[in-house]
Amino acid sequence: MVTTAIGPSMAVDLGGIRMRNPINTASGTFGNGIQFEGFYDVGATLGAITCKGVSAVPWDGNPAPRLAELEGSAIMNSVGLQNPGVRGFVDRYGTYLQGLRDKGCQVICQVAGHSVREYVEALELFEELAPFASGFEINVSCPNIAKGGAAMGATPEAAAEVMSALRPLTKRPIVVKMAPHDVAQIGRALEAAGADALSLINTIPGMAIDVRTRKSRLARATAGVSGPAIHAIAVRMVWECAQAVSIPICGIGGVSSGADAAEMILAGATAVSVGTANLYDPTCARRVVDELTQWVREQGADDVNDLVGAFDA
Amino acid sequence: MSTTSQYDFEVMTNEQVAQDVWCMRCHTDLAALLSPGQFVNIQVPGNAAHVLRIPLSFSRTDAKARTLELVFAVVGEGTRRLSAMQAGQTSTMVGPCGKGWQLPTRKGRALLVAGGVGLPPIVACARMLTQAGVGFDAIVGAQTSDKHVDYLLDELRALAPCEGCDCARKVLVTTDDGSRGIRGFTTAAMRNMLAEHAYGTVYTCGPQPMMAGVAKLAASAGSDCQASLERMMGCGFGACSCCNVALASGGYALCCTDGPVFDAKEVAW
Repeated sequence: MVTTAIGPSMAVDLGGIRMRNPINTASGTFGNGIQFEGFYDVGATLGAITCKGVSAVPWDGNPAPRLAELEGSAIMNSVGLQNPGVRGFVDRYGTYLQGLRDKGCQVICQVAGHSVREYVEALELFEELAPFASGFEINVSCPNIAKGGAAMGATPEAAAEVMSALRPLTKRPIVVKMAPHDVAQIGRALEAAGADALSLINTIPGMAIDVRTRKSRLARATAGVSGPAIHAIAVRMVWECAQAVSIPICGIGGVSSGADAAEMILAGATAVSVGTANLYDPTCARRVVDELTQWVREQGADDVNDLVGAFDA
Repeated sequence: MSTTSQYDFEVMTNEQVAQDVWCMRCHTDLAALLSPGQFVNIQVPGNAAHVLRIPLSFSRTDAKARTLELVFAVVGEGTRRLSAMQAGQTSTMVGPCGKGWQLPTRKGRALLVAGGVGLPPIVACARMLTQAGVGFDAIVGAQTSDKHVDYLLDELRALAPCEGCDCARKVLVTTDDGSRGIRGFTTAAMRNMLAEHAYGTVYTCGPQPMMAGVAKLAASAGSDCQASLERMMGCGFGACSCCNVALASGGYALCCTDGPVFDAKEVAW
């Protein structure tokens, strides 16, 4: 590789997923990467992408409307993990995702289920069919499905049960996507059950009521809030979790600039995902890589890892 | 591989053309890449509290001059700010988004049915049909006379009849309150048109209940029907799965990438 200027080292290790830089994408906000190829060269730019959550068999997802925009830099969604199942996912995106790996971008496949058994079935299929996966993210925090999802990650015991069942199924790194509550306690339980890394936070459950009709603005009564408005909450939870565990964390929540990503890193995140901002600012993740690198340089650090958890409390 | 990307645009003119309806003409390289019935997703500057872009279809593109004409209703905070953009102001738009109108596969005259600000993409469709030598009749509805966009109606009427065809083109205007043209919904006018004439393909854009009625009438008349749907959108290019459209066969399609123009038979109205 030819470099024109010696920059700081930006490479990080998210529990065995070796990323060229800390920037990842939050599941559900980046399609499966290919949708962004018209905007920039994903494989040559990002540290990793996290694909849309996939279950063993196809899921239809929730009825319309699935989206509302809120005042104050936030949106709500209740997509409900619409996906083509592991086989459909691999058929449609496998070749493209292997191409990302070949360019040096890691591919994290997200695993969804309604029960421990469904998570096991999905991960077994991924193990068999997805050689391109650098690792897996277990989504025990989706607020938009009727059973499973957030319920599976609601308590330390339930989260650890899923993790313990999945651990023997793969040697590849397992990241667990956490719900926005009790992150220290649940994080410790997941670490003890063999998680290689944690990612947090998922969307925050919320409600938006049309006061004229008295109905929800979405098809479901509750949905997940995301966007710049939740950033401060996410940073606090990353900080709390980072103090409780020794495995690396991927910080997620309202990141739309290098400064936002830097906050996550100072709070203790090793990697950082850009989420909702991908939707309205499709080149955001590329810009965050550049701005974060500039920040590391401005901090006088040779290595971004020296700044992980460097928050001066 | 997706060809959707982000483009700069500069406002050339932005003026009110009917009650609560504006026409913005802008300069953008994206204009050369758009097909009738596709849409663009616009970043409206000036309010960080509203993050999402505004998806809009267009009435006209000029690939050579790199100009794009958007006609939109002011319905909320975002479209209000869009209507306030001044000549010379710049921002970005994402596009080309989605799948647009298809030329008819069935022989015979086409019928265009537009409701409200469903008219702009219908005018783009009319231009596409005219260029392909397909004759058409049209029904254009609005709530009241003040909400009809006169210059688009004039453009529709002025489109030259197809060569070698004797079509005495009809452009019927309806209003819900009878303040102009035929009183009542477009579907009532459509029923009368279908009684007089057989149409190969019906093209429709407007409120969903209207399009559901149009699709039903078209099906019972044995015509093909293409409908341009509208949904609240997160991204506009297939990344978030927020703009789902229920399918007659079960499950969902995405309005942004599988549509916005759908074969009406495939939609669970």
